Amino acid sequence: MPLSRILKSLGAALALLAVLAYLGYMIVYVVYAVNLFQWPFDYDQGEGFELYDAILYNQGEWPYQSNSTYPFYASNYPPLFHLLIVPLLPVFGPRLVAGRLVSFAATLITGGVIFVVVRRKVSGWLIPLVSGMAYLASNYVYQVGPLCRMHMTMVMFEALAIAFIAEFEHSRHGRRNLILGLLMLLCAGYTKQMAVFTVAAALSYVFLRDIKKAIVAGVALTVVAGAIFWLLNIATEGQWWINTIQANVNKFDYRQTIFLFKQWFQLHTIFILLAASYLVYELFWDRLSAYSLWFLFSLGAGALSGKWGAGFGYFTTAIAAACLTSGLALGRLRDWKLGIGSPAPQEQTNWGLGIGAVIIPLLYLVQAPRMLHTPTSGPVFGPLARALGVENALVYGTSDNLAENHCAVVQYHDAMGYTQLGHMLTADDYAAGEEILNYVRTSNGPILSEEAMFSLLAGEPVVTNPTQLLNLYNNNLLDTTEIVERISQQEFGLIIFRAQFYPHPVLEAVGQNYKPVEHICMNGFYYHILWPQRKLDNPSE
Amino acid sequence: MITKRQLGFIVIALGLLMLAATVGVDLIGAGQWGGFGPLQRIGIGLSLPAVAVGCVLIRLGDRPA
Repeated sequence: MPLSRILKSLGAALALLAVLAYLGYMIVYVVYAVNLFQWPFDYDQGEGFELYDAILYNQGEWPYQSNSTYPFYASNYPPLFHLLIVPLLPVFGPRLVAGRLVSFAATLITGGVIFVVVRRKVSGWLIPLVSGMAYLASNYVYQVGPLCRMHMTMVMFEALAIAFIAEFEHSRHGRRNLILGLLMLLCAGYTKQMAVFTVAAALSYVFLRDIKKAIVAGVALTVVAGAIFWLLNIATEGQWWINTIQANVNKFDYRQTIFLFKQWFQLHTIFILLAASYLVYELFWDRLSAYSLWFLFSLGAGALSGKWGAGFGYFTTAIAAACLTSGLALGRLRDWKLGIGSPAPQEQTNWGLGIGAVIIPLLYLVQAPRMLHTPTSGPVFGPLARALGVENALVYGTSDNLAENHCAVVQYHDAMGYTQLGHMLTADDYAAGEEILNYVRTSNGPILSEEAMFSLLAGEPVVTNPTQLLNLYNNNLLDTTEIVERISQQEFGLIIFRAQFYPHPVLEAVGQNYKPVEHICMNGFYYHILWPQRKLDNPSE
Repeated sequence: MITKRQLGFIVIALGLLMLAATVGVDLIGAGQWGGFGPLQRIGIGLSLPAVAVGCVLIRLGDRPA
């Protein structure tokens, strides 16, 4: 059998294995997402508040209000993600599934954009297919993707923006592509402020190719974005500026950034090395593409991951950029080795076949287990976990090695190690949620909860957004007089703590006037139920 | 259109700006460490390679960046 046929057969088998591996990750992702869609409570602290922002918009109210007066609530994010949830509220009601579906769909669209862009630049199906699926296979995307949080929707708009702006010199549709790209950048920025790095990448790309267009595009984007910003600030009497800008100035821990950079690299090594190599190649030997610049600038977003309240989610733009750019890199490498565009001797063609057919799927197969994450129980995932040898590798799976502050056994393995997200919900979690909800329904008066869903599900008003109060307090922008007074008068019928992220004066007032009655373990966390002292003194109340 | 040479000058300027900021924070007394802090070391570690990359780009002449 000639060498070329052996290589082709081996390559086809490896390619099939690679596609199956990434398809497997997609199945795990969908199973996790469907599991979350059914969960009515907050899975990640903050989900309920994002839903509440959408509810406020639906009622024609701004979520940017003074935090110093009742109900002490404001959002610290721009409005677009919450506005996208609004049309789903009549269908699902005030339930998290509405926001989770938007975010989940956004991740699928981002994967699709990566697939389409790579498919248009690279021949064949393997590289485009795996590049798109690799985004969904990332541990970070998996964990955050189906949450009612806006970050993944921002990444979707960023990917669309880069895809359009990369083609701004198109002979027929260049102008249209530039305008659509700028519109997507505007959408990304008004989904989450972090999009500023993609804005810089896109405008830098235009600047390298056409200085005049870059200046016009930059000025146009600044004027439109600035006008919307100004109008929002006027409409909210300055609360937009306080809550979305000033409140987001937080402490920075460079060690957290370094830790997350290392983790991001270890999990996505092959994609990052390929993307970085492609950037170097274009910088010195070719012209810089919008995709390489996107990868470079997205590292800036990762650098901000040391901020208090930030985390690995800040790397999801860099992951999308790395998946896309690595696909282009492999396509270029294969075309070069195949000698496409120039006559090549037989020996080089065999090498080319080796690279194209064998090395590329092999690289994808080397990368796949680096991101390993899977449930470890159930009729399918149990045997799978045993086959992969990870059923005993849980960092926090058994009672004697539970991570600090994690109160339940978790049947889930992740190459990241300990993670608060990613596992499936259990019957115990549902029972615990109902138990907490029962406290809320039988309470007398409004409740103070660190998670909004308990209030929303019980038809109670949402009072406080704790992390926002803490951010403002740390920036000397919060007057705690009224909230402390209301706590001191024991106006709240119930308080539910999870992480105790409230400002110190609030926690102190709670400590003096409320007493814990039960600690309920739900979703791996203890929820502390506190009653007012007056109720403990007079149980019949 | 920007050339490799022009991009090189831009990258060197950015690298030097970062270098000046990294060293300059001590002059205005910012930061929480005495002497040269870890963030300053990271700043140096990024700015010096940027200057080196800029120098190489300048040598690549008028090819489009």
